[in-house]
Order: sequence, then C-alpha cells, then structure tokens
Amino acid sequence: MRTTQSPKICLAASSGGHLSQLRKIAGAWSGRSVFWVTTVDIVNRSLGDGSRVYAVGECNREHLLRLVSVLFRCIYVAFKERPDVVISTGAASGCLMCLLGRLGGAKVVWLDSITNVERISLSGRLTRPFADLFLVQWPDLAERYPGVEYVGAVI
Amino acid sequence: MIFLTVGTQFPFDRLVKAVDDLVGEGVLAEEIFAQVGDGAYQPRHFQAVEALDKKAFDGYFRDASAIISHAGMGTITMALDHGKSLLVMPRRKKFQEVVNDHQVGLADRFARLGHLLVARDQTELRDRVRQLGSFVPKPRQADPEAVTQRVLRFLNRWETSGGRSPNGFVS
Repeated sequence: MRTTQSPKICLAASSGGHLSQLRKIAGAWSGRSVFWVTTVDIVNRSLGDGSRVYAVGECNREHLLRLVSVLFRCIYVAFKERPDVVISTGAASGCLMCLLGRLGGAKVVWLDSITNVERISLSGRLTRPFADLFLVQWPDLAERYPGVEYVGAVI
Repeated sequence: MIFLTVGTQFPFDRLVKAVDDLVGEGVLAEEIFAQVGDGAYQPRHFQAVEALDKKAFDGYFRDASAIISHAGMGTITMALDHGKSLLVMPRRKKFQEVVNDHQVGLADRFARLGHLLVARDQTELRDRVRQLGSFVPKPRQADPEAVTQRVLRFLNRWETSGGRSPNGFVS
C-alpha cells in the first residue's frame, strides 16, 4: 500500500502536436510525481523537467506489426511504473497507456487533440468508454458525445 | 519573402508543384523560399531545401511576409503565435499525403474563425494567394488555464477521496 496521497501520474502523448498540447496544461501536475511516455527518443531531453521519459516508438493503424512492438513496450512501462492516473492527448500509444493504466486500477484523463474538429479521434473514441474525465477542445463535440466535457482549448 | 513549408514527416509535392506553377505563371510575384521534405518534385522557380534545423526554420518563419503550408497544427500554431498571414492546403488521404483527412476539417474550422486562408486544391490556391498579401489573421483566444484547472480539480478530488479503487493490482 502506497502511503502518500499524491498520485503517480503517467503523461502519455505522441511526439509533436499531441505532446505540445499536453505540455500546455503542465500546471495541473506541478509538484506531483510524473513520468512521460512518448513516441520518439529525440524529444527526451527537451522535456527537461527531470522526470523519467520512456520512448515507445511510433505506430498507427497502418502499421499493425509496429503496434505490437509498441504495445509490449507500453506493457513494460505500465508494470514498472504502475501509475495512479494516466493523462493523455493521444494518439495510439496514449490510448494503450490509458487502457493498461486502467487495467491496473488507474484513473484516466483524456484530452482530445484540437485537430479533431468533426469528430473525436479514433484513439479518443477507443478510450472514451473507460475514461474518468474526457475533455474535447471544440464545444460542439461536447454536445454530440454524452459524458464529454468542453472547458476550453489549450491552443 | 513567402516561406513555403510542408513539415518533415511526409512530402507534399502537390502543394510544392502548385506554388511552383503559380510563380511560373506570374500569379505569385513575391520571392519564395521552401522547405519541402524528401519529395520527388524539384521546384523550378524558387529555392528549396529538404529540411531546416529549428533555428534556421524559426528565422525564415520570422522573416517571411506570409506562410504557405500544409494544414499541420504545428505550423498553424506557430503562425498564430507570430501573427503571420497563413495560407494552408490540407493534405489528403486519397493522394497518400497523410493517414486520414483530419486536416480538411481543421483547416476549414480555423478559416471560418478568421485565423487563416484555406485552399482545398490547386484551383482555389490560385485565388487565395491573391488574398494573402492583404489578409490579417484574427488572433486566437485559447484558454489552457481553464483546462489546467479542470484537470487539477480532478487530481485534487482523487487525492481527497483516498486514491485508487481497491481493485487495482498495485494496492
């Protein structure tokens, strides 16, 4: 049993736009214990807040074999770190970390990327059934999907 | 100078060729500098490089009178941050330029909000480049603090309620 009441937070986002959107809300976890899961190793140093960074590789629906390799790396990270909360903006690997975190009892926070205007992203739609807080960045999306919240856009 | 950039992940020859044709026809009179990725098309009417490091990229971006690009969120955000006139052409799945058509809806929405100009294809591009010189982008009103506070509230509630459910494999 962990004695501290402060949760260990997994911050999961693909390199590029997903990651930069997640970093826009860094104030939400300041002073808390976090680790990052991203796709490409090159961004590790630029995160620069001293927390652990795991690069699990790129994958998408077009490369199913790569998805398996990413899945195994995500499983390794989830078992090693055992987060209490997973916060993700996507995409595929973020969705995997949310699912694996959830299986371990973690709470799941999803912030759908602003690039999804007409409907929620594929990874977001897969995560929505088990997310504890699901945020979108366009008000009309929140009206169309039950249980989805809009409070603002990060960019 | 107009800075044409297509990002580094995939080439976007359709846009590079369309801009090249417009320069060739004299529709686009301003000097162009381009970052084109590893595309097969070689522009005839302006200087192009495959990739730029961040410092050089930022320099061209800052010095440009306007930006022409794909509808990537990185370029859109940067243009809005710098108050640059931006003309985008969305990448399309049917031309294998991207894995899905999210750039179409994104570009249309940002255009409707007055943040940028959008050209769906080469024909529309011809009309839009004429507007680019006089286009003044509307600044974007984002609210990352509202999202931060919402997530913070969620985490605070997690802490006061005593944390994870007893079913988790960690406890």
